[in-house]
Amino acid sequence: MIFREVEDRDLIAKARRGHVDAYNVLVSRWEKRIFNYLLRLVRQREDALDLSQDVFLKAYQNIKKLDDPAKFPAWLFRIAHNEAYSLLRKNRPEGELTAVPEAATGLFPIEMTLAVRGALDRLSDDHREAVLLKVYQGFKFEEMAEILACPVSTVKSRLYTALDLLKQTLAPVNIGGAE
Amino acid sequence: MSCSLLDLKAYAVGELAEREKSTVDDHVRGCENCREELDRLRLTWSALASLQDEEIPRRIAFVSDQVFEPRWWQTIWRSGPAMGFASASLLAAAIVAHGFLGYGFPGHGFAHPAATATGAQLDTAQIERRMEAGVNARVDAAVAQAVSAAQAKQSAEFARLLKATEHQRQMDLADFEQASEYYEKQMHRFEVASNEGPAQ
Repeated sequence: MIFREVEDRDLIAKARRGHVDAYNVLVSRWEKRIFNYLLRLVRQREDALDLSQDVFLKAYQNIKKLDDPAKFPAWLFRIAHNEAYSLLRKNRPEGELTAVPEAATGLFPIEMTLAVRGALDRLSDDHREAVLLKVYQGFKFEEMAEILACPVSTVKSRLYTALDLLKQTLAPVNIGGAE
Repeated sequence: MSCSLLDLKAYAVGELAEREKSTVDDHVRGCENCREELDRLRLTWSALASLQDEEIPRRIAFVSDQVFEPRWWQTIWRSGPAMGFASASLLAAAIVAHGFLGYGFPGHGFAHPAATATGAQLDTAQIERRMEAGVNARVDAAVAQAVSAAQAKQSAEFARLLKATEHQRQMDLADFEQASEYYEKQMHRFEVASNEGPAQ
């Protein structure tokens, strides 16, 4: 992990000096994470792919503005967030959906996958994004606040609300034997 | 500690420090409600984490993108032959300069200035010719390598397509044979049925 961080830093330094090859290596390292983040956020494969392309293009064009290479992941996801929300606002200005709890108990893996996707889809864009950044990308609250350009308290509030809604579907009360 | 003071969600998402985690652990051991709540949060997290990342359908393209093409000076700077040419020119210039400077020191056995200059010019011309030959050889080799790589890739792709087509043909043939067999059986049944019909 330490080696990987050092290598990323070196690649960023080279990319800042105009080395396209170094940037291509960075792209190959991050494209899958960015694509999956965008796919789960915008929920359209082609849109996610186009947005991924745009994200890496903008990142390259602005990489000289990145002062601290250690912040590359949060900076890259900030760009991805902006791109995704531009599209979401264009396609769906209201953007909010109501979560409808459905129990996902005793499911097979494929059913569980569908249940999780369904539960995530029923969240609002803001709530879903908080879950994506925490659960799938492993960002800390402070990093999420940087990416989303909002206070840590807002990040926590969004994530906690999302977890409460997801809990109703993915871990209903009777699972724990509380009833 | 009161249940309301505990941040179970922060615990579940790994945002608590070790000391705070110990506090939650201690509390949860003696509080059934908080234990159940934490179990549900962990179950939720596990369910979410079970969702696998998808492979990107096609790689992000950059090398072919105009925006990412290097500027002319970057191209020259990174070009081996061009840099070789520049180095050789510098060397030639240094030889010429050395020839002129050497004339200024008597007793060093240098040739006549005119002869030295001619020699330097000859050296420069020779170096340039060698350089050009070297550059040409490297460019030819690079082009040949690129062409052979492209041909090999094309051949491999053709072989793959041929194999896939043949496989599909075999599958279709098998399906056709299976269907024929089925229809033959059906026809046989109809014939038997129609033969038996009038007898009844």
